[in-house]
Amino acid sequence: MAAPIIRFDHATFGFPGVTALEDISLEIADGEFVGVIGPNGSGKTTLCRAVLGLLPPRSGHLQIFDCACEELRCHHRARIGYLPQKGVLDRNFPITVLEAVMMGRYGALGLFTRPGRQDREIALQALAHVGMQDHQDSALGHLSGGQQQRVLIARALAQQPRVLLLDEPTTGIDMPTQHAVLDLIRRLHRDLRLTVLLITHDINMIRSCVDRLVLLKTRLYAAGPPEEVLRPDVLQQVYGKELVITEKDLIIVEDYHHHH
Amino acid sequence: MTQFAEMLTYDFMQRSLAAAALVGAVCSVIGVFVVLRGLAFIGAGTAHAAFAGVTLAYLIGVPPLPLAIVFGLATVWITGIMEEQGRMKLDVSIGILYTATMALAILFIGLMKGYNAEVYGYLFGSVLSVTPEELRTIGLLGVLVVGVIVAFAKELYFIAFDQDMAEASGVPARRIFYLLLTLVALTVVVSLKTVGAILVFAMVLIPASTAYQLTHSLKQMTVYAVLIGTVCAVGGVMVSYWWDLPSGPAIVLLATAVFFLSVLFSPKRLRRTSA
Repeated sequence: MAAPIIRFDHATFGFPGVTALEDISLEIADGEFVGVIGPNGSGKTTLCRAVLGLLPPRSGHLQIFDCACEELRCHHRARIGYLPQKGVLDRNFPITVLEAVMMGRYGALGLFTRPGRQDREIALQALAHVGMQDHQDSALGHLSGGQQQRVLIARALAQQPRVLLLDEPTTGIDMPTQHAVLDLIRRLHRDLRLTVLLITHDINMIRSCVDRLVLLKTRLYAAGPPEEVLRPDVLQQVYGKELVITEKDLIIVEDYHHHH
Repeated sequence: MTQFAEMLTYDFMQRSLAAAALVGAVCSVIGVFVVLRGLAFIGAGTAHAAFAGVTLAYLIGVPPLPLAIVFGLATVWITGIMEEQGRMKLDVSIGILYTATMALAILFIGLMKGYNAEVYGYLFGSVLSVTPEELRTIGLLGVLVVGVIVAFAKELYFIAFDQDMAEASGVPARRIFYLLLTLVALTVVVSLKTVGAILVFAMVLIPASTAYQLTHSLKQMTVYAVLIGTVCAVGGVMVSYWWDLPSGPAIVLLATAVFFLSVLFSPKRLRRTSA
């Protein structure tokens, strides 16, 4: 196993009176594809914020690359490409595809440095990686949901990240597009040798493409290859009676839409 | 044409045109970020707070500019903190601050002995009476505001588009947000004498909103906003000179007319109805 790129060591996260994640110990190796699963409110998004360095551990340690993130303002963030949960994009917001992707360069450039020709090349290359190079001058708001998602992934790639952190990348887009986006992520993982951390509630969708699954519900219940984690006795600890497993496939019965 | 040349020979007219052009440009640049980041109401409140600072200065007999800046900054920072904490609905808290500062201004005016025309100049705007010193101050503050915007342009665009995303990719988004609020307050103070406390925010909002109708690119929106803002401000001063109208309303109504034209002929709107 390669050297760990992200290491949680008995780390607890939350605010006074609210513990979002408790006593997490987890190592993620360079180049791994890890899926993070768990019911709503299980701390998936908190894990995301922690990895981004937006939330320091209240106890324990979190090390990312060679950087201990006890402090909030941590410079490793530019090396983590982040795709946030799909929000509602104002269709009239005046921004072109290339302008949006160029923003991926801003964090890495730092203050007082203007993006130059090289940054533009990197942004165009990122667009080519997601197959959107012909849309660089289009209005972001005029693209379809799947295309917007591709552009936002390109923005994450423009950071030239080592880690790609994706928060529910397939939520809110139609089925064929979901598969296309997931195929794209697999290809980026393979071709660019990125470490991928994919947060999702859709276990069936990602079980075939991850190296490991991490099962969360405030605590870490399991971390291992899908065949070890996706066993009824393991899953039932977290999902309880809401879990139904069919012969062919595995389905978690929980209505997510009520919570959003 | 001779009339136009004659107008330009007057010192006061040269000063007012220069002041209007400066204010038009500075207001519209900051306006781009105010419109995109959704800070319209914060700015409107700031103008009234700055006016309260001016009235206090006249009441106690000190120069108005520093107190206007103090009042303006206090208001934007307080509203910024309130937005972050989200304890109260922002429109409610700003609504309270907005009217409370206006009440202070009216109180200070009431405490003054007699009628002070200069104070009303700050309320309604009087670009035609801009003094050389005032023009210099407007110029200096204007250069400062635009300089800071240019220096932090990419961060300001980023937080206007998506502040959380900016924070997550290593941009000091929170500090940039407070920088933006500070620039809004300074812009309002710079423009107070020219267009007046009641109308100044129109100069911030209208050129940027007009440009918003016309393009799908951040860079183009900024260029269009500055052009529209400067042309409307200068044009408004000329209109006010020729027809002997108050300058503030002349500028703002001209900009408003341009805004409605842009809404009518917006490529975005045309696209939507044809799609």
